Amino acid sequence: MVAVEAISLTKAFGDLLAVRKLSFRVEEGTIFGLLGPNGAGKTTTLRMIYGVLKPTYGTAKVMGVDVRENPIEAKRKMGVLPEDTGVYPRLTAEENLVYFGKLRGMDEERLRKRIKELLDILNLTEKRFVVADKLSRGQKQKLAFARAILDEPPVLLLDEPTLGVDVMSAREIRKMIEEYAISGKTVILSTHNMWEVERLCDRIAIISEGTLRYEGSKEDLRRIAGKREFEDIFVRLVRGEVIEKAV
Amino acid sequence: MRKLFKGSSGVVKISKGFGQKGYSLPPKPWLVVAWKEVLEAFRDRRTMLNVVLLPMILMPLVISLPTLMLSPKTIPPKIMVVVEDPRGMDLAKEIEALENSSEALVSIVTDGGNYTGLVLSGDVDLIVDIPEGFYENLSSGKTGRLIYYYDPYGARSSVAMGVVQRVVSEYSEEVLRRRLEAINLSEEYIKPIVSVAVQVTSTGEGATTGEVVTAMVLPMMVGLIAITGAGTFAIDMIAGERERKTLEALFTNPVSRGQLLLGKFGALTLLSLISGLATLFSALIGVGFAITSMSESLAAGSVPQLMEPSRLLYLTLGILITVALGGLTGNAVMITAASFAKTFKEAQQYVGFLTLILVVPMVAIPYAPQSFHPVLRVLPISSLAMFARDMIVNPGDLGAIATSLIASILYLIVFLWLSAKMFGRESVIFC
Ligand SMILES: Nc1ncnc2c1ncn2[C@@H]1O[C@H](COP(=O)(O)OP(=O)(O)OP(=O)(O)O)[C@@H](O)[C@H]1O
Ligand SMILES: [Mg+2]
Repeated sequence: MVAVEAISLTKAFGDLLAVRKLSFRVEEGTIFGLLGPNGAGKTTTLRMIYGVLKPTYGTAKVMGVDVRENPIEAKRKMGVLPEDTGVYPRLTAEENLVYFGKLRGMDEERLRKRIKELLDILNLTEKRFVVADKLSRGQKQKLAFARAILDEPPVLLLDEPTLGVDVMSAREIRKMIEEYAISGKTVILSTHNMWEVERLCDRIAIISEGTLRYEGSKEDLRRIAGKREFEDIFVRLVRGEVIEKAV
Repeated sequence: MRKLFKGSSGVVKISKGFGQKGYSLPPKPWLVVAWKEVLEAFRDRRTMLNVVLLPMILMPLVISLPTLMLSPKTIPPKIMVVVEDPRGMDLAKEIEALENSSEALVSIVTDGGNYTGLVLSGDVDLIVDIPEGFYENLSSGKTGRLIYYYDPYGARSSVAMGVVQRVVSEYSEEVLRRRLEAINLSEEYIKPIVSVAVQVTSTGEGATTGEVVTAMVLPMMVGLIAITGAGTFAIDMIAGERERKTLEALFTNPVSRGQLLLGKFGALTLLSLISGLATLFSALIGVGFAITSMSESLAAGSVPQLMEPSRLLYLTLGILITVALGGLTGNAVMITAASFAKTFKEAQQYVGFLTLILVVPMVAIPYAPQSFHPVLRVLPISSLAMFARDMIVNPGDLGAIATSLIASILYLIVFLWLSAKMFGRESVIFC
């Protein structure tokens, strides 16, 4: 079953076409990587899917729900880690989680259990009563990640989930992303880290200048690359060079 | 021990504090939002200081300090009486009697010395010179002249002049009476016309000092209450949240914009109520001080009377409605302004500008001529101040009260609708 479908997503900021007619499908239970250089339009694409930016044209469906027609219902199905973590600096780690858990309609008992569990897994238990302002960049990122998976939504949207996180924590987060997909849920993540995509994702979309340059499985991309480095093929795709074998 | 504010370590030392209460909140999104906004506001020590504590300290001072300073009883002015005419000692003694009511410190000398130096240095606030021949003139039916040396820029000098003049005119009248007696004329003979002032108020009762002060001060208070607290908090809730980049995350939740706005609006109302009540309370204390010291220095008879209970109830009701409407309107205006701005700084500029626009009609209304009143009743913001004024000064004019009340409610709805429109915009989330 298709979990997320982008249908001709287009966004213009004044004269700038940040995203141009982007279409792709993400199967349930898979990890989908949005890959592209700075300013490619990854964040803008994700923002349109998770419903904080209105597409200039096109739409997206999440678990069959159209994000433009029924934004509240669609948001119920998505957990989001935005580019700027969006952690509240004056609330403690725990309060940050309580706030979103409550807004997502979680009941008291489940929320307590889940917060304890997540703080534990992410090594944040001792920061429970610390205001987020005093957390390190990586700790904030982990907290925001915990917040995204708090009520175990069927679809997870992560904008550069390992940005600014140390090797150990990045590994923890990657492990949790993998486990999340194994449990049958869907993950879309954006990154410009080629290596991370290769490790983690089932399918990959490469975009640059708001245009989809490649979309396919990791295996297909590997075949195209042949003996060449992944990075090399990435650079050529980003430049928009046509690669016959990809079609 | 509960600790409301974060320590330097950032640890909020409350195991059973605000945060824990969040778990048991009913799952009404707007309530959850309001809880978080109030929680954050209380964490922000500086804001609380500015919005609640500072007005509580400043208001009584600002209101009562001028009257207290000018009341001779607070700091009695220093008066020196120079008696060059030994027979003028009578009058000097009368002036000296001011010390008994502690309205002045009086010293009597026979040789003044350097008058200018004494006044300019502030050693003496007023010098009253009784020159040679003063008594001679008085007793021979001529005019006796007194000479005052005072500092025209010194408030204390004017106060001293005021108290001395009172004594002198009493003395002068006494002399007049004796002169008239000597030639067998009645006092009425030299006072062909006397004016009698009758207070005309729509209630038919004379206005008490308390009412007059309230009628002047209340419209201004309403403006302050509606605006001071609300502006600061609105900036923080809208522009602040965007600046801290949390607004985007907030909007990823399955909650409608209406609920988010309602939550923020609810918290804003509660917070501005707290700051408004703090302001109102401290202002009343200030007014109380001012009335007490005024009535002591004024002539007897203007002692503030206590109002009748029914009238007090009516006034309280008027104040409460005005404060509630004013608060809500101010909040809606502030949310609109804060949403309109792209940055925190810009929001502060808009809010500052709006505060001025909102406060000016409040301050001006007590001085507006009667013919402007019908227009003021239907203009935004001034309709509120007029409502407050009408409740106090024209309680019988139901038409006027209804007009200003309905206008105020309509404006509130318009501003609420505007704030909802602004909050929904994409550019509210991203700068
Ligand atoms: N709110 C906005 N207003 C105007 N232009 C914007 C806005 N958001 C993004 N853009 C522009 O749209 C383009 C795509 O930006 P986007 O943030 O989607 O890139 P990205 O792929 O996420 O880049 P990065 O890897 O640096 O995060 C950029 O040129 C950016 O300047
Ligand atoms: Mg980005």
